[in-house]
Amino acid sequence: MTTLIDRYVFTVLRRVPERQRPDIERELRASIADAVDSRVDGGEPEAAAIEATLVELGDPDKLADGYADRPQYLIGPDMFPVWRRLMTLFFTTVLPIVAVVAVVVKVLDGATFGTVIGAAISAAITTAAHLAFWTTGIFALLERTGVNRGGLPMRHTWALADLPRYEAGFQTLGQFAANLVWPVLLIVALVLQQFTFFDVPVLDPAGWSFWWPYLIAVLLLECAYAVWLFRRGAWSHTVTAVNAVLAVLSAAPMIWLLSTEQFFNPAFLGSLGWGTDPLNWLTWTVIASVALTAIFDVADTAIRAERTRRGLPHPSPGHHTVGVH
Amino acid sequence: MTMDATLAGHLQELRRGTVVVASLTVLRTPGYGYSLLESLSQAGFEVEANTLYPLLRRLETQGLLTSSWNTDEARPRKFYTTTEQGDALASALRDEWARLDRAINDLDDHAAMGGNS
Repeated sequence: MTTLIDRYVFTVLRRVPERQRPDIERELRASIADAVDSRVDGGEPEAAAIEATLVELGDPDKLADGYADRPQYLIGPDMFPVWRRLMTLFFTTVLPIVAVVAVVVKVLDGATFGTVIGAAISAAITTAAHLAFWTTGIFALLERTGVNRGGLPMRHTWALADLPRYEAGFQTLGQFAANLVWPVLLIVALVLQQFTFFDVPVLDPAGWSFWWPYLIAVLLLECAYAVWLFRRGAWSHTVTAVNAVLAVLSAAPMIWLLSTEQFFNPAFLGSLGWGTDPLNWLTWTVIASVALTAIFDVADTAIRAERTRRGLPHPSPGHHTVGVH
Repeated sequence: MTMDATLAGHLQELRRGTVVVASLTVLRTPGYGYSLLESLSQAGFEVEANTLYPLLRRLETQGLLTSSWNTDEARPRKFYTTTEQGDALASALRDEWARLDRAINDLDDHAAMGGNS
């Protein structure tokens, strides 16, 4: 039979790293026994002494957190403002877009008013859950890997020269987090479209034999690129080149798949009942947006790198050039 | 927040860290968890067992305490002893405490004199 003390000790040990358990157990039991003895010597009956001792030791989970010396929060005060800004951004931009797309698809489908509203709400809830989950997950990961005050682990101690020039327009922690969260969300969307969003997968399931895993790999590279760029701390022609290679690696196969009609799932397009003309229109819209996004991204990075090389100021959000009179 | 809760919060802030100095000072003579808890509470330190026990282990990982199991008595106990490094650290902390005490008193005296003139 397990005693009250056993139950207390086991509850503490449950949440303590395994290799520390035997030693902590032995010490904790001795400490409890000492406290009980002292109460019994003071005239308390043993059962009451045990209860009082354990109550005084308090919540076993809290004691375990003390032993394990781990933070008792998911996202600390350093990361919280950035997390909140990003969540607000996602919920105010991505959610409405998803809801509108869901409505448009259902309306084109000729659905009733009720179905349209239902589809919009369910798409918004699913998307909200994923946005919140993955964003929070990445921030918790950053928190636990020590990316907080002052960004990633610095190679040197802070000096005046490290103050941003507000010319280079380099990344803030928020931009870095966004660069990291976007590829992850795209990977999640890529995997989920196979099962959830509609009755049939949106993208051609044949792509799973090579192209969809390939895109996931490229997106993971984008994450690595975001970390590398943030640690590097400056734009340069190397950054331009790496960014351009990544853009081509992701955009080129997508454009090729789209133009050879291997991108969308024929069953999904059939279920929309749009006929062939809208299909062409959809394909060319997606091709154009993929190409334009890639070109904009490459050009934007190249311009930033060139301006940095020449020491020219960057237009950066929230920064106004102070006029000299 | 009531005045009492505000006071309790500030008192906690002020006391944070004193348990470390007190433990390192007491453990210059070897002691185990419960004995230290008793000594501290007799000396007037309000410390809870669930803060003290994990703290001892943390100080040990920082090299400020060493420990060994004493199995001579019927109940085996883990005895902690302050290391040389821990003693030096405690001494530095006590100096700082004394300096702060003087500084606070000076401030108080200044304020009192300023008020009278």
